Formats: sequence, C-alpha cells, structure tokens
Amino acid sequence: MAGLELLSDQGYRVDGRRAGELRKIQARMGVFAQADGSAYIEQGNTKALAVIRGSRARALPDRALVNCQYSSATFSTGERKRRPHGDRKSFEMGLQLRQTFEAAILTQLHPRSQIDIYVQVLQADGGTYAACVNAAMLAVLDAGIPMQDFVCACSAGFVDGTALADLSHVEEAAGGPQLALALLPASGQIALLEMDARLHEDHLEQVLEAAARAARDVHTLLDRVVRQH
Amino acid sequence: MLQKREKVLLLRTFQGRTLRIVREHYLRPSVPCNSPLCPQPAACRNDGKLLSSDVTHYVIPDWKIVQDYLEILEFPELKGIIFMQTACQAVQHQRGRRQYNKLRNLLKDARHDCILFANEFQQYCYLPRERGESLEKWQTRSIYNAAVWYYHHCQDRMPIVMVTEDEEAIQQYGSETEGVFVISFKNYLDNFWLDLKAAHELYDSILQSRRERENESQESHGKEYPEHLPLEVLEAGIKSGRYIQGVLNVNKHRAQIEAFVRLQGASSKDSGLVSDILIHGMKARNRSIHGDVVVVELLPKNEWKGRTAALCENDSDDKASGESPSEPMPTGRVVGILQKNWRDYVVTFPSKEEVQSQGKNAQKILVTPWDYRIPKIRISTQQAEALQDFRVVVRIDSWESTSVYPNGHFVRVLGRIGDLEGEIATILVENSISVVPFSEAQMCEMPVNTPENPWKVNPEEERERRDLRKTHLVFSIDPKGCEDVDDTLSVRTLNNGNLELGVHIADVTHFVAPNSYIDIEARTRATTYYLADRRYDMLPSILSADLCSLLGGVDRYAVSVMWELDKTSYEIKKVWYGRTIIRSAYKLFYEAAQELLNGNVNIVDDIPELRDLDEKSRQAKLEELVWAIGKLTDIARHVRAKRDGCGALELEGVEVRIQLDDKKNIHDLIPKQPLEVHETVAECMILANHWVAKEIWESFPHQALLRQHPPPHQEFFSELRECAKAKGFIIDTRSNKTLADSLDNANDPNDPIVNRLLRYMATQAMSNALYFSTGSCAEEEFHHYGLALDKYTHFTSPIRRYSDIIVHRLLMAAISKDKKMEIKENLFSNKDLEELCRHINNRNRAAQHAQKQSTELFQCMYFKDKDPETEERCISDGVIYSIRTNGVLVFIPRFGIKGAAYLKNKDGLVISCGPDSRSEWKSGSLQRFQNKITSTTTEGESVTFHLFDHVTVRISVQASRCHSDTISLEIISNKPYMIPDTELVHQSSLLLKSDLVKEVTRSVEEAQLAQEVKVNIIQEDYQKYCQTKGRSLYILLEEIRDLALLDVSNSYEI
Repeated sequence: MAGLELLSDQGYRVDGRRAGELRKIQARMGVFAQADGSAYIEQGNTKALAVIRGSRARALPDRALVNCQYSSATFSTGERKRRPHGDRKSFEMGLQLRQTFEAAILTQLHPRSQIDIYVQVLQADGGTYAACVNAAMLAVLDAGIPMQDFVCACSAGFVDGTALADLSHVEEAAGGPQLALALLPASGQIALLEMDARLHEDHLEQVLEAAARAARDVHTLLDRVVRQH
Repeated sequence: MLQKREKVLLLRTFQGRTLRIVREHYLRPSVPCNSPLCPQPAACRNDGKLLSSDVTHYVIPDWKIVQDYLEILEFPELKGIIFMQTACQAVQHQRGRRQYNKLRNLLKDARHDCILFANEFQQYCYLPRERGESLEKWQTRSIYNAAVWYYHHCQDRMPIVMVTEDEEAIQQYGSETEGVFVISFKNYLDNFWLDLKAAHELYDSILQSRRERENESQESHGKEYPEHLPLEVLEAGIKSGRYIQGVLNVNKHRAQIEAFVRLQGASSKDSGLVSDILIHGMKARNRSIHGDVVVVELLPKNEWKGRTAALCENDSDDKASGESPSEPMPTGRVVGILQKNWRDYVVTFPSKEEVQSQGKNAQKILVTPWDYRIPKIRISTQQAEALQDFRVVVRIDSWESTSVYPNGHFVRVLGRIGDLEGEIATILVENSISVVPFSEAQMCEMPVNTPENPWKVNPEEERERRDLRKTHLVFSIDPKGCEDVDDTLSVRTLNNGNLELGVHIADVTHFVAPNSYIDIEARTRATTYYLADRRYDMLPSILSADLCSLLGGVDRYAVSVMWELDKTSYEIKKVWYGRTIIRSAYKLFYEAAQELLNGNVNIVDDIPELRDLDEKSRQAKLEELVWAIGKLTDIARHVRAKRDGCGALELEGVEVRIQLDDKKNIHDLIPKQPLEVHETVAECMILANHWVAKEIWESFPHQALLRQHPPPHQEFFSELRECAKAKGFIIDTRSNKTLADSLDNANDPNDPIVNRLLRYMATQAMSNALYFSTGSCAEEEFHHYGLALDKYTHFTSPIRRYSDIIVHRLLMAAISKDKKMEIKENLFSNKDLEELCRHINNRNRAAQHAQKQSTELFQCMYFKDKDPETEERCISDGVIYSIRTNGVLVFIPRFGIKGAAYLKNKDGLVISCGPDSRSEWKSGSLQRFQNKITSTTTEGESVTFHLFDHVTVRISVQASRCHSDTISLEIISNKPYMIPDTELVHQSSLLLKSDLVKEVTRSVEEAQLAQEVKVNIIQEDYQKYCQTKGRSLYILLEEIRDLALLDVSNSYEI
C-alpha cells in the first residue's frame, strides 16, 4: 500500500470532511486568573494554551516589544519526543508568532513595555501554527491589549487539483504542499504567509483563496467565543 | 452540522513498535445516496451518477465479496450495485492499489450501474468498532447497518439484498429486517441470475482457485524463487542507485531464457548505462511477467552474459548449441516488482495426450498462453476436457515464491482453435481491445436520419455558423467508393485579389458532447481498429458514414481553417478558424482529379455531379472546378517549395517520402507513381494540422494535445549504415534532411528493392510519433522530426481518431477565448490530458499490433491449404536483408512477408547448393561475416549469401496449437526465382494481398454457411458501407508508416 487516499472520488477527506470544511473549533478565554490574559483552543485534536504577560522591564522607546515563546508538550505527538525545549523548530515558531503579532498589536500605544506571549501545544494533530496564533490572539484580547483587528490563522494544502482547508496531521504527513496563513479578516491584510514544498504558481491563488476563506470562518467562530466571554 | 468522533488506531511502525494514533472522524447528517428513490434529493446533494430506476432490487456486496469477486460484479448485467465505503476501504487496504483502482474505475464508469455510498461518514450509518470486536465482524456489521438505513431512507420502496460469504452473518441478520435480505453470493447468483452462465462459471473458477491457494499456503513447499524485497527498500535502493527501475520485455523468441529491462526515467542517466539490462533465465526474472515495472539489481561483471544472435524456433527447451554469444552486456536479476501489468491472457489447454502425461494432478492444469512471452499458467478447473479445442481467456491471480508457475483462473471461452472468428477474438483480447456493439443508451444519443425523418440543419446553428454553402466551391478528393469523408477543400479568389484556401473537417464534436455515453465509448476505443478483413468503428455508423461524412450535395456541419494567401507569393496573410456549414459540390476520387489536373476533360463522365447537366452549364462548372484543383495544386507546390527555399528542413521531410515509397510498394496496384493530387491533399492536411497545433498551443500552453516525433538515436542507425556500405552507399543520418537526401541517392538502378529495404531499416531505427500534453514537456521537445515541423497535431480525421476530437474541442475553446467569450467546453487539465494521451498512444499501438497480427493470420490461412511441395504460389523470390549466425532474414516482396530462413537445420546440417543451384542439406559448418555468410560442407563445397542477394524460397506454414501459426521459409535455391513472364506475374501479384484476404474470408464464410451459422454482421457492414481502409492518401500513409515504425516482432531479433 503506497499512500493514503487523501481525497476520495466522492470528495471526502480521510476524516470525513469535505475539501473546504474546518475541523471542530472549541475555545475558552480567561483560563488562568493569575495571568494577564489567557486562552485555550481546540482545533480538532490540536490543542493549544496561550498566556500573556505584560511588563515594563526592557524597553524600546517608541513601541512595545513583543516576545513569543513556543513549546510543545512531550506528550503532544504520537511518538515520544526527546527534547522538549529549545529546539530549532520551537524557536522558529516563536519568531513566526512574533512577526504575526507585531503586525496585529498596536505596539506604538505602549512604549517602553514588553508583551510576552507563551504558547504551549498540548496535543499536535496538524495546523499547530494556526492553533497557536488563534490561541494567542484570544489571550491578547483577554488581556485587553489594543489590536488593529482579529488575527485568524488557518492552513491549507493541495491535493489532486483541489485545495484542502485546515489540514490534519495525516494530511500534513503525506508531504504535499502546505500553506499557513494569518489574516486580518476585517481589512483582508495578510499578517503572515508561509509555504512548505513546491507548488505551481497557477495553483497558488486557489490555495490562498481556500486558506483565506477558512481563516474568515475561523474568525466568525472566534468572534462568537469572544462575545460570549 | 458535523459531529466529531474520535477513532483510536493502533498502527505498527516500520521499526516494529506499536503506535497509538487518535484520528478524528466527522459524521454528517446526509451524504449523497445517489438513488432515484431518495425522498429529499436536495438534502442528499445527489449529483453525478444515479442508480437506474428500473431495477427490481439493490444489491450490496459484503467486503469479502468485493475483495474476491469484483470481477463478477463487473458484469454489466448486474445492476443497482451499492458499494459501501467500508467495503471499498477493505479492498484498498487488503488488496492493494491495482484492485482498488479497478473498483474506482468501475464507479466512475457511467455505463456501469453502481454507486458508492459513504456510509462511514453518515451519522446514522456509522457504528464505532467495539472493544475486542474483530475487524471483519465490524465491517460486516457496518455494512449491514448501512444497508438497513439505506432501505429505510428509500422509504422501504426498494428491497435490498446484501450478499456475503459469512455464514454467521446470514444466520444473524438473515431475517432481522424485512426488506433487507442477507444471502450468500452463490445463492444470489442462483436466484437472480440463473441465466448468466458466464458469471456462474467465473464464480466457480474463482472459488476453486482460492481454495487451491489456501491449501497450497498450508503445504510447506521449497521456495522456487527468492522473495521480493519490501517496497521501502526498493525505493531507497532506486534512489541510492543500487537498484535500477525499468520495464521488463521478454524476448519473444527465447521466452524462457532472455528478457530485457528497458530503463525508465532518471535511473538511466545516473547509472550511465546505455543499453538494456539482460535478465537471464526464469530464476533471475523472479516471477515478473512481460510488461511489469520491475526493480533490478546488477550482477557483478564476471557474471554478465551476451545475447544470442542465432535464430531459433520457439522451442521451450534450452538450446545449448554451443554457439558463442555476442559480447557480454549488463546482466541483472529482478529483486522486486513495482507495478504488475497483468491483463487477460488467451491460453490453450494441453491436448489429451499431454494431460495424461501430466497425470496425477488432474485438477490443476498448466495452460499455455498464446503470447510466447507469458509463462505457462496453472489453473484448476474440471472443464479441462471440454475446453480442449478452444481458445480460453484466463487471469493470473497470484504467483507465490513457492510455485514455479503463476496461479490463475478461467474466465471465458473465445472460440475454437483455428476458427477465423476465434482467432480474431484472440487477437483482440491479446491487445486488450474490447469492441462490443454500441449499446442502446449510446445509440439514443445519436441524431436520427431516416427517409421519414430526415436530419436537417438547425436554424440556431445556421445563425451561429459561417455559411459557406453559397459562397465557396467545396469539394472532396478521396479514393474511389469511400463513404466516410472527413476532409474537404476549397479555394477561391477574394475581392482584393488574394486567394482563400480552406480546409473543412467534419464537425464531430457537434454530435458528440463531452462526457456523453458515446464520448466515453469513443474515448475508451480511442481509434477505429482496422483488421485485415474488417473494421471496428470508433463512432456508430450513423455518424461515421452519414451525418459526419461530408458527402456531396448535402448540408453538413464542419470546422474550417481558412487562410488568406497573397495572390502571387502565396504568403499566408491571415488565418481564420471556426464552425461552418458547407455543402460539398463534388465528391471526386483521386484518379479523376488527376485527370482534370492534366487537362483531360473526358473524365467528366465519371463525375456524377456533372453528368446530368446540359452542355453549357456543364462547361462552366467544369472550368470552375478545374481552376480550383489547379490552383490548389499550385498552392501546395508553393507552400512546400517555399519551405525548401527557406533553407529549413522542408515540410514533407522524411516521413512523407518514406511513406510515399512504402505506398508505392504496397499499393503497386494503383498507378505506378503516386499522383500529384495525393500530395496536394496531404500537404493541405498537414498545413491545417500545423496551424491548428499552433493555435491551440498559444491559447492553452499547458493543456493542448500535440503530436511529437522525437529524433532517433544515432546508434540505431548503425545497422542501416553498415548495410548501405555493403552496397556502396553512404547514408548520412545527422539530420532528417541529410537522411532524406542520402536515402534518395541510395538507389540501385538494377534492384529497386534495395532502396525499399534501406528505407524500411531507416523507419525501423526511428522512434514512434506520440501524442502528448504540452504541459508535460518542454517546448523544444514538441518538434516533429519526420515532418520537420515545430508543432504538429492531428485535426483532420475526427471520425476515426479520438485525439482529433480533443483537438477540435480545444480549437473551439481557443476560438471562444479569443473572442473573450465564456469557454463552454470543459477541457482536460494537463494531468488528465497526459493520462489520456498515454491511453490513446497505447490504443494506437494495440491497433497496429492487431492489424499486423490479423494480416499474419490471413497470410497463414492462405498458405495453410496449399501444399508447399507442389503449389506454384508457395515458391517465390526473396531478398536477404539481415544476416544471423545460423541463418538469414528474408523479405518477400510479392507477399510483403518478412521471415527467417535457416542455413543450418536442427540436425546440425548446413545448406549447400549444387551446380544447378538446387539446395540440399549436408553436414558442414557456417561462417558469418559482416555482410555475408558462408556455408561450407565437409566435402569442401561452399556457398555464400550476401546481403541483398536474391534467393528462391519456399513458403510453408508451421502450425502451432497453442500459438498463432507462423510462416516458415526455406531457401531452395541461391538464384533469383525465375518467372516466365515478369510483367504478367507482376500484375497478378498486385492483386494478391486483397485477394488473399478475400479468399480466406470466403472460404470461412462458406464453412459457416454450411453450418448454418449467420454470416457475421460486421462483414456485411463492411460491404454495405464499403469504407476503404484508408480513405485519403494522407491517412493511408500514416497507417503504413506507423506499421513500419512498429514492427514489433523484429525489435528483439538482433
């Protein structure tokens, strides 16, 4: 047997979703009273926790410094992981998160301050970046830090001429092209766009469109969570 | 809307640890049920194929049935089949990709009444697997549960039969729900399809072969073959260069010993190997079968072997004749098979005597495939005795490492051995050609044209199309008696003095909508198949011979390409593509057109359109026509000359010249030289094809269908150069132009056959022209070597080629794109088109093989009744065109037969020729040189045969029970065959080929009539429509060229 059939002829994915459908999203804000802001999100089986700390410690004169730290739990993947902290992957993810939020948070309103964002992935099942962004965004909102807009992230992939939204681990592991997009839904601006593997330029638009649509859907769902909070 | 569930899986990793994986599983309230009885079709979103509504019940096969008896479910008679997703997944996981793809294709096939129901994604059908429940039990339970739901979903209006092999399930569920019956498959076939004999037979044979296999696996055998390596190891090995991937080609003439692996893709570049890899012996071949994609490991250099250059008959015994093989070549052994290309095989049961000698195990029988390259297959059946004299289709099931031969099962009977129909059916099956008559559903899509209800031009179409009926003089030039005309021509002077040349092609796509039943059928067939005596059409005759045929005097739809040419220089100023309505004024045949061109007006009586007119208008019309033909010829001449003048490789290049030459050979019966009109028409068609290729490529750079002809490898020309040198000619093969020129020069005035043979060798060395999708290769590779054009496609024969239909659709889409209109045609993506091209190329190859094999069949049948010792016709003149260590290859111009003649017979005696040049067998030895072979007897006499020597050969038929009969040649004299009156015999020989076919057909028909069997319908059709094999010269040439390019039997003789 070589390779799973990611998209059946009837248009179903391995887990029963259709191409454009998201996984189930559940979220809660204000998980920890101790922190300035916190949130927990489940996107399918990917579970992430985000905590915000604000301080006046190290300072840039004109704007706030955003610092992100990412880690994933040793038990988050199917196989046991050797090194829980400080590997390159986590570092890179931290940088990406930082870029995303520097674009979204109105940093100039808080000069000489530092905003720390800690994200922990408890269970990884594909789309970790997207889950982290969404969790951190909820936490930032919880902390009451002014932002331009929501930041909603979602991943998308490309299989047999069709763009798939919100990839699960199985779909990611198949090794096809994968695109992660963080979007400011109101303005439609892109905060971050990342792409693995090669994809023909003709298809890029299609995949991008799928990711953007999925990110807007995420926005609707998260908006509901925020309003409930 | 979706419900989330979790599924826990325990997987085993490659390292052998178990891995716990949690996967999500989403359920939804409605999935498409694809039943016409569905109460809420909107909620179910039933799009695509529905089950038909005229069935009495739906049948749901259990997973086990789908796995084991898919072949029976493929019968088109079985209708209303619902495949549950659970069952499909079981096939995917446990039976591998080949079978799963078969299932997928079945589901996609619009002609087959079956659907997939995604039960595992349906909220009410999904059952989680319980703790401790076995996978099999759970699958059966899920399928049953889904069946019950489906029954209620259709509001209990359609009874459902679930078929299973599981006795427990029958017990448990048999009477649980009313309306859902659970019965065994055997029971089902007995109750519902008692008349379907073939299904029952297939069922029995599958069951039996399965039992055998089970028994066998229990017995502990010694291993006959090493195990194949696992896939990961193979892939890693290929990447690292340790193993090599390629397609296995078995040498037809030494099927037991020699096979070659032709390298595939990147591996050939990396390893630096130029030649193929030899696989010596069955053991090294390790259970792979001709056509499989295999992975090979090279043996160390000291074990390399050479290929045998001696001729040998197809004897199964190893011939240790002590002949020194040629120099060693890379040799390897198969370590794994990447893709099995098993198909249906035609086999013959051993005769009675052989059965007895096989003795003790009468249940299992070794049958011999018709194709030499396939090993014997072991099947188990009780019908062996009854099937003795028949050709039978079998399929291979498996080939265990413990077994010398593969296991298979019996599928169906084709016909008696030696019977014409049976043999033709054999050829069709061997080439995987399926030509069932067009079904009712397909014929329903066809327009009607009967005397009571004649077909008319649709006024709407009339508005949209450009009307050329009044303005243009359109006419067609074809062979005599042809009825399917797909190309017509026109030429006229425009108001500004410029000329307008038009090529009008039948608008087949107007009648054949994309993805309609007829379109799917045509796509499957891909081409019209021409056998020696009959034809299998790609489209029904209502289209091919009537509505799409551009006959004279009737309105027809066409797709036209029209060029505006400068009045003097014939420079192309403008080009226009589009749909038109035409009415062809004349349906000329070549000879008449040529006469008109030569200014011979007497021919006028042969043109029916002019016969009934009065003298005056006849004169006017005639002048008009003569002017048009003259102008056309002039333009064609100019177009060609201009390209020559440009210094570039001229248009007609090698291909046409070779074709023309071949044409001369085969059809000596038509005038001695090909008429100029032939070339004129061909030139116009090539021009149209070329311009259409440019247009569609510009509009759709990534998804246009073009035709390429890659330049040949220089090393393939070495034999040609050697042979030519023997005669004192020099062949320059550096480019197509030099090749064409030097071939023209290589003409022996005393012996025209030399030139023909040289040209034949040149064509042999060339690769095949192929269809391809422009998205899949670089622009430099689009080149057509033979025609010396940068872009080329097939546009002019949509009636008999599917590729032309695709090109028509592309052209239509390109036109709408240019006009900024919406593209109505749903075009193929690059990937789909690539696959389609592969399919069409494949089918074309099959068509050529079938045509060649059927010709050989007729040749054999012709000579079979003749006694070679007495019959005058069996002795003929032959030319030696290749030398081997123990014989020579001879070409017989009179019958167009190529074959081997031995100089050393089985007893080790060699040929010698006495003073009267009669040959005898004596003991002696052979000595082979570069271009001659000398046979010396022990008495010191010697005789030498040179390349291109004429000899006299006797033709006889070597009968074979299991395989096709073959022609065998025997040299009876080393002098040319003396014919009393050369002219006379020459004349008679011309008619021979068609005569031969006719004679054989007649005798078969007589035999059939005697048995009061109906004369076969196709035969009648053939006469009724009297469609010739090639209707225009151009097509004829293409066919002949293709045939010459793909002389399969010769590819491994060297």
